[in-house]
Amino acid sequence: MLDSPEKTTSSVLRARPKPRLVTLSINGEPHEVVVRPHIMLLEVIRDHVGLTGTKDGCESGTCGACTVLLDGKPVLACITLAVECDGMNVQTIEGLSEGGQLSDLQEAFLDQAATQCGFCTPGVIMSSKALLDSNPKPTVPEIKKALEGNLCRCTGYNSIVDAILQYSGQGVKPLMRKDGAP
Amino acid sequence: MILFEFEHENATSAEEAVTRLHEIETETRFLAGGTDLIPNMRIGIAKPAHLVGLGRILREPMTVDGEGWLKVDALTRLAEIEHSDLVTSAAPLLAASAHTVAGNQIRQRATLGGNLCQETRCLYLNQKHDFQFVEPCYKRGGDCCYPFPKNKKEVCWSVYMSDIAPALMAAGAEVTVLGAGGPVRMSIDHLFSGDGLRPLTLNLGEMIRYVHVPPMGKDSAWGYHKSTVRGGLEFGMAVMALTFRLDADRESCKDARIAIGAVNEGPVRLSKTEAAMQGQRLNKKSLTELAEMASAEVNPLPHHGFSKPHLRDNIRVYLRRAMEAALARAQQA
Repeated sequence: MLDSPEKTTSSVLRARPKPRLVTLSINGEPHEVVVRPHIMLLEVIRDHVGLTGTKDGCESGTCGACTVLLDGKPVLACITLAVECDGMNVQTIEGLSEGGQLSDLQEAFLDQAATQCGFCTPGVIMSSKALLDSNPKPTVPEIKKALEGNLCRCTGYNSIVDAILQYSGQGVKPLMRKDGAP
Repeated sequence: MILFEFEHENATSAEEAVTRLHEIETETRFLAGGTDLIPNMRIGIAKPAHLVGLGRILREPMTVDGEGWLKVDALTRLAEIEHSDLVTSAAPLLAASAHTVAGNQIRQRATLGGNLCQETRCLYLNQKHDFQFVEPCYKRGGDCCYPFPKNKKEVCWSVYMSDIAPALMAAGAEVTVLGAGGPVRMSIDHLFSGDGLRPLTLNLGEMIRYVHVPPMGKDSAWGYHKSTVRGGLEFGMAVMALTFRLDADRESCKDARIAIGAVNEGPVRLSKTEAAMQGQRLNKKSLTELAEMASAEVNPLPHHGFSKPHLRDNIRVYLRRAMEAALARAQQA
C-alpha cells in the first residue's frame, strides 16, 4: 500500500468538499448535475447523464477513447474535472447522429471498415470532426497529426485516414457496399 | 477516477490565485490545463487537498513589443501557440516545440506555464504502485531509487521532459514569476534547479505569469528536434534546440545557444560546444564535429529503457541534422 495508516486517517478526517452544481450543455441539451470536485467530465457524461458512447479507456490521458468536444475543441474527458467545465458546451458521439441516422462522417467510417472492435471509434470520430470543422480538406500528414492522440489496436489506422479522405471528398471510394456486403 | 477528494475553487485573476494559495492552510496546488497534474493525482504522486483553478482567468493576447520581444501569457493553451501566426513569425522555435508536445487533445488544454512546471518522469515514479511495486521511491517518500539503487536519499534521477523548455532556453527567453512579493522577471535558465526531487526553483505559491521571447534577427538561425520512438503522443527520448547568429559572410558563426532536454533533471546548455561554435565556419564537416563534441559533452541519464550510449548517439545524429537544417534555412532566407 502506498499510503501509511496515518495518512489514510488524516484524509478521512478531512472535511468532505461540498458538492456543487455544474451546468453543461451536452449535445445541445442543458444538464444540471451536482458533483464533488474530484468527479471527471467523463463520469458526468457516462454515469450521471447516461451517454455511454464516450468510452473510458486508459483514464490517464493516453488513449483518446474519451475524446469529446468542449466548446468545439477536442479534449480528454477522463482528465478534465467536471467543475472546470461549468457553463460549457459538450458534444459527444451521440450528438453526431440525428433521429437514429448516422452522420456522413460516421457512414464514411463504416464504408472504409475503419471501425473493428469499435472501442476507440467514438474518440477517433470526435477528433476527426474537430479537424474537419477547422480544415475541411486535410492532407494525410494533417490527419495523422490530428489523430496522434487516439490509439487504435485494430485497424492499423490506414482505413481511418481513408475514411476522413472519403468524407472530405479527396478521391477515396467506399470500400464497402451500402448493403453491408463486402 | 481520482481516489481521494479535494476542494476546488476558481480564481478570477493571477494575483488572487497567488493570494489564495498563501491563505489556504492545507496543501494546495494551482490547476491550469491539468493534463499533467490530474494524471499525477490519479496515480498518487500529487495529493493536494485543495486546487485553485486558473482556467477562468482572462488570458492576455500574445503581443510583440517595440523591440521585438514576444510576450506570452503563461496560461495560453499550447494549441493556440502552435497555430499562432504571430508566434510562428516572432518565435518560430517556440511554435515548433509546442507543435511536438503530446497529442492534439492534450495541447488543447495544456498551458505554456503548466508545460514548464510539469513533474519529472521515471518509469518507477509515474505509474500506480499497486500495479507492480510495494514500496514507493525516494520522490514518493519511500526508501529506494529503483533504477539507481545506490543513489542517496536526497538524489533523484528522474528526467525533466518538457519539450518547450529547451526551445525557450536556446532562444534566450525570460519568464515573469508572480509571487506574494509581486512579479519578478528572470532568465529561464534560472527556473531549473537541476535537482530531480524539486526540478524548479519556484517557491510555494509562485507561478509563471509570462514568458518573454527575444526577437530573432535576420542573421539568426534556429533548429529543433524531438526524438521519439513512435513519433506522436510521446514524451521525448531527447530534445534538441539551438539558435545561432551568422556573420556577414553567411557562413561563420557569431554566437550560439544549444539546449538539450529530456535527458537530465532539467534542460542543459552545452557551453563547451557553444564556445567551440563561436567564430567557426559552418559547413557539413564542422557541424559533424560540433555534434560529436555535443554528444560527448552531454551526460544523459539512462531513462525509459534508453541507455546512455544510445542517447548520446541519438543526440550526435539529430543535433547535426537540426544544425544543418538551421544553417540551410538561414542561408536561404
